[in-house]
Amino acid sequence: MHLHKYEKIWLIFGTGSLVVFLLIVGYGAFWQGTHPQSHGVTIDTNNIESNEAFKPENLGLTKVEEDKYIVNIAASAFFYDLGKDEDGKSVKTIRIPKGSTVLWQAATKDVVHGFHVAGTNVNMMVEPGYVSSIETVMDKPGTYTIVCNEYCGIGHHMMYATVEVYE
Amino acid sequence: MRKQEVKKASEKDKPDLKGTFVSVMLLGVFIIITWFGAFALFISR
Ligand SMILES: [Cu+2]
Repeated sequence: MHLHKYEKIWLIFGTGSLVVFLLIVGYGAFWQGTHPQSHGVTIDTNNIESNEAFKPENLGLTKVEEDKYIVNIAASAFFYDLGKDEDGKSVKTIRIPKGSTVLWQAATKDVVHGFHVAGTNVNMMVEPGYVSSIETVMDKPGTYTIVCNEYCGIGHHMMYATVEVYE
Repeated sequence: MRKQEVKKASEKDKPDLKGTFVSVMLLGVFIIITWFGAFALFISR
């Protein structure tokens, strides 16, 4: 087969870039533990309380150890359940010290929702039947808005909460 | 003499791929820049 000189160059260039991309993504996946946020952990959508993490008393922020936190979120139309504060009111704002490692775990009680801590990599779909989770280090102080970025119905735009990362 | 004529003809048949080459490379560079741009965002956040 005869190939034009230019064809050879762009074939090598294209194949080479593909190899580089795959090596980077593969390194992330197999050595750094990057994985899809919903990766086959199942849950009963009609009874998410059956999962220890989504029992009402375990929702919201939990300190596991120094600089290690878990945030459990029960999403439903059109509300992120982050547990209750001392006065029995629904928590709307979560405060986390800067530099903490946070494991975010979310499940939905009804339809597909989004869970995005805007400005960070915490961005996941919350699908019925699955637990979505991602672990991050919150190392930039500031106020972040959690938004639903999967259209879930008439009150979609009302679905939000706040995260404060403080020094 | 005859051989030379044949050679001349085949050289003329060679497609001119210069423009194609430049556009393929521009597209390639664009893809690489956007790919690493998105990757840098992912890493820095
Ligand atoms: Cu929504």
